[in-house]
Amino acid sequence: MKIAATALSHVDYLVAVALFLTGAWILLTSGNLVKKVIGLNIMETSVFAFIVTTGMIDGGAPPLVAPGDPGPFASPLPHALVLTGIVVAVSVTSLALVLILRVRAEFGSVELDEIALSLAAGDTAEQSERHGSADD
Amino acid sequence: MIEWSHWLPILAMLPLVGGALTPLLFRHRPAAACFWAVSVASVTSVVAIALLLRLVDSGGFSYAVGGWLPQYGIELRMDEVGAFAVPASLLVLLSLVFSRHYVARAVDASRVSFYYALVLINLGGLNGFLVTGDLFNLFVFMEIFSVSAYALVATAREPIASLAALKYLLLGAASSLLVLFSVGVVFAMTGTLNLEDAAAALALSSPMPAGLALAGLATGFAVKAALFPVHFWLPDAHAAAPAPVSAVLSALVVKAGIVGVLRTLELFGGAESLLQPLLHLVVWLGALGALGGALMALVQRDIKLMLAYSTVANIGYIFIGLGLATASAVSGAMVHAVNHAVIKSALFLAAGAMIHRTGLRNIDDLRGLGRRMPVTAFGMAFTLIALSGAPPMAGFTGKWQIALGALQAGHPSLVAVLVIAGIVVLAFGIRVINALYFRPPARVAVASATEAPASMWLPVLMLTIASLALGLAGTPMLEFVGPAAQSIYGTLP
Amino acid sequence: MTPELVDIRPLLAVLVSLACAGAVFAVRHRARWRAFWSLAAAGIKFALVWSMLPGALAGRVYVYQFGELLPGVAFGFRVDALGLFFALVSSTLWVLTTIYALGYMRGSHSLHRFFGFFALCISTTVGIAFAENLLTLFVFYELLTICTYPLIMHNEDLAARRAARKYLVYTLFGGGLILAGMVLLHSVTGTLSLAETGILDASVGDHWLLAIFLLLIAGFGVKAALMPLHAWLPAAMVAPTPVSALLHAVAVVKAGVFGILRTIYNVFGIDLLRDLGYADWLAMLAGVIMVVASVQALRQKEIKARLAWSTISQLSYIVLAAALLTPLAALAAIIHIANQAFSKITLFFVAGAIERGTGRKRVDELAGVGRLMPWTMAAFTLASLSFIGVPLMAGFVTKWYLSLGALDAGAGIYVAVMVISGLLNAAYWLPMIHQAFFKPLPSEPGNDLRNRPRVSSMMIGPILVCAAYVILLGAGASAPSMPFSLAEAAARFAFELEVPLE
Repeated sequence: MKIAATALSHVDYLVAVALFLTGAWILLTSGNLVKKVIGLNIMETSVFAFIVTTGMIDGGAPPLVAPGDPGPFASPLPHALVLTGIVVAVSVTSLALVLILRVRAEFGSVELDEIALSLAAGDTAEQSERHGSADD
Repeated sequence: MIEWSHWLPILAMLPLVGGALTPLLFRHRPAAACFWAVSVASVTSVVAIALLLRLVDSGGFSYAVGGWLPQYGIELRMDEVGAFAVPASLLVLLSLVFSRHYVARAVDASRVSFYYALVLINLGGLNGFLVTGDLFNLFVFMEIFSVSAYALVATAREPIASLAALKYLLLGAASSLLVLFSVGVVFAMTGTLNLEDAAAALALSSPMPAGLALAGLATGFAVKAALFPVHFWLPDAHAAAPAPVSAVLSALVVKAGIVGVLRTLELFGGAESLLQPLLHLVVWLGALGALGGALMALVQRDIKLMLAYSTVANIGYIFIGLGLATASAVSGAMVHAVNHAVIKSALFLAAGAMIHRTGLRNIDDLRGLGRRMPVTAFGMAFTLIALSGAPPMAGFTGKWQIALGALQAGHPSLVAVLVIAGIVVLAFGIRVINALYFRPPARVAVASATEAPASMWLPVLMLTIASLALGLAGTPMLEFVGPAAQSIYGTLP
Repeated sequence: MTPELVDIRPLLAVLVSLACAGAVFAVRHRARWRAFWSLAAAGIKFALVWSMLPGALAGRVYVYQFGELLPGVAFGFRVDALGLFFALVSSTLWVLTTIYALGYMRGSHSLHRFFGFFALCISTTVGIAFAENLLTLFVFYELLTICTYPLIMHNEDLAARRAARKYLVYTLFGGGLILAGMVLLHSVTGTLSLAETGILDASVGDHWLLAIFLLLIAGFGVKAALMPLHAWLPAAMVAPTPVSALLHAVAVVKAGVFGILRTIYNVFGIDLLRDLGYADWLAMLAGVIMVVASVQALRQKEIKARLAWSTISQLSYIVLAAALLTPLAALAAIIHIANQAFSKITLFFVAGAIERGTGRKRVDELAGVGRLMPWTMAAFTLASLSFIGVPLMAGFVTKWYLSLGALDAGAGIYVAVMVISGLLNAAYWLPMIHQAFFKPLPSEPGNDLRNRPRVSSMMIGPILVCAAYVILLGAGASAPSMPFSLAEAAARFAFELEVPLE
């Protein structure tokens, strides 16, 4: 009963952790490069959500401080962090997508196993080309 | 009277701004872009050296950005760890000089100005990362050098480069998230982002969330530093990148991960009960990395892959030193971070010069090149021996100190690990030397090759000389980092 | 306390050959200049090292320090009696070997590389001899490994590559052991100095002492070709003869033996080792090697292979003498560095001259060679008599003091071992001499040796000088200001004796 109550009072953290793990799972296990990037984005979202909630104070007002306003306010710093984090995340995602486009242009696929196949084919071609030059 | 601390932001901002301007100013003039980048890096190096002299002269100092004092404002500070900005700036400078002719062949012409921009931005991120005094800027600068590094790997022409860059990006971004998450936890616990204030608060805090933050930071930075077993992104990325980029990545970007670990240790220096198990784990992961990296290097045929695996091994040494947590081991590890940076960039640049002249990157194909490219081949042979840790070259100081630390900490088996890894490194070094000097050329491209232009062999030669000079300067370097090692860990035996 | 003088000569002695190597690389294919620089540097070094002899005999110690390589470990030179003795032997033999090599190597490929690395090897050897501490010694020891590698590799064929690889695997492994031993030593004592008679003491703890002893002795034992770490040595015979001479008489094996002597006399010290009893085991091992290697030598059909196994056997004389831990045996150990070097280098020079003059490499092909090359074979005879232990020859002096030392130590069994080894020596040298002088030349059609190419006088000269030295070291050993008195000083220092040994 007590555990359930604790869990409920920290439901925001639990959601963040669940999202993080989901994203990590996709990032690590999916063979599709685009899906990996989506997994990364889910992870990012979870971290941002977590950080924003840490700045929250029960009953706190948005931190728009006017003279004579007594507070309490939510902490403004996490918002600044998350804002920067979002900017970084957008740039990383766009770079990743550009790279995926290049990978697709060069290997004709965004599936890792298919790329591995075409890489292996390239290797054998190269090896037969330099046949006989290696020894020792 | 100059106020020295004003120069601190320049260290980071100059390359960042200079980098951002490069494509705007020199979009279609690659030669001018190179000249510009070299100038910016030179000025940055001068600033870094001036700051180092001031640090040696009268101790660490800090700078409050915009005049806001710490806890609210952003603090930059110069300490012994931040002094890594000097080798960082100088190595980037040499890599840029080297790039002048290299990128003409290795990078698409339309991307050349962006290439220089990215290298400068990378340097700015590194320098900022080294001198920042608060956790959030640590994250921001880390992202700056990381994202520019992902993009730099992709500038190479080879098809594999984009894939390697993407793998590097996915893992790197995930590790960055771990760091950001931990920064959030630390902020939630302590209410501050300033490193020193947070460290003081964490020393008194409860173990559970602090342990979470420590694990997140340590894992995140360990991925950046390519500690075994999260090293697997490194060999592909470092081998696929253009050679000067490989040099910067292996010499500096992974070292930034080490610096991150040092900052983490600083942050949790007061929470000894949390730190001990982590340090213990790091020692053995480092040992596995040192042996595994060296053995993997031994079986590579591609010279750049071989060098990349050797980076994994050397990162292993450094982590052994950091984990042992004795005065000699930690200062040895810190010195080794610098020495390895010099040696490894010499090696990558030499390999790049060879690839540039012959188009070949397989060790067996490079046979007989020693007579065609005497300076480059000499640089490579010399630094390979330095890499193995033969005294009195630069690789020796750190390993000796780490071995002494291992004995002090009661782990004699680690001495065996260090010695065996050193011998394995020498074994693959000899393999390359054999191919270069004692075998007849097997390829037409080698038989008709000539020495690389001076813009390539000169940086190689300078780094080669440095790899001897730094070895002879082992004692002053150890004395320089000694106090920092003590203050990071609290007190060391 | 011995007076220490700061003197630049130890540094110069090392730098001369280094500069010579640089000059040889720089002149590349100009043969005259190459010969000039090699000979000039050899001569200067010879003069420099010998000029330190009177001072050393008067009890002075020359030092030169550069500053610290690591905290508490300086990089510096210190010329004590033992080091100077080794340096004297190697710088003298460098002059002779250089002259010989100029004759022998004429017409070979990559000569600038050969002579460059040749000079580097001697530079590092003198560095080993003059090293002030174990780390400095190790630096030069590893450099020596690296510098001999291109020399073994000189022919660049498959056999040379295999031999060179074997050599590297063994010596690098040995280097690793030494490094580990050094780290242990430094962590328990905080110093690596070689200036004292023992830096360890019993308070360190038995298992640490044993570990350090095993690591250092095994590490140096690789280069000293201590069985079972010897396999690289016979394989390295594929190298050109001057290199074999350098490896077996001067630089490499002696560097290993010198390291063992330093370990016994300067790292552990006589008293500690006597208490620990490790040296008895080492002596026993050396005694076994002495006989086994001689038997192996007897079975070899190729001249150079026989010489290689003989070297393994002779080196164990030195190890045995050092391990007996008595003053007279120590004298034998040190003096045998010179005796074995001069005798063995004579044999190698002769083997090379026979190969150049007649193309013969095998023991059973020697018939009649004595008539074709009487001077050369006379030198061969002298040197082999020295190994057998005939009085008035250098080898006899060693055996005499070694026997006295063994009796002092109460280990008479080793005198018997030495007699057996001497008989075996006779069994493999005398038939060669007999064949060369008393068998007629085989008259094979199409292989007329009477019209053979003339052997250069640059090869014959050094052979005769070396042979003369073998007699000088034997008959005139105790003449004043001979190296013998230096060896005596070194032995006295190790045992902290004030009075002469006899």
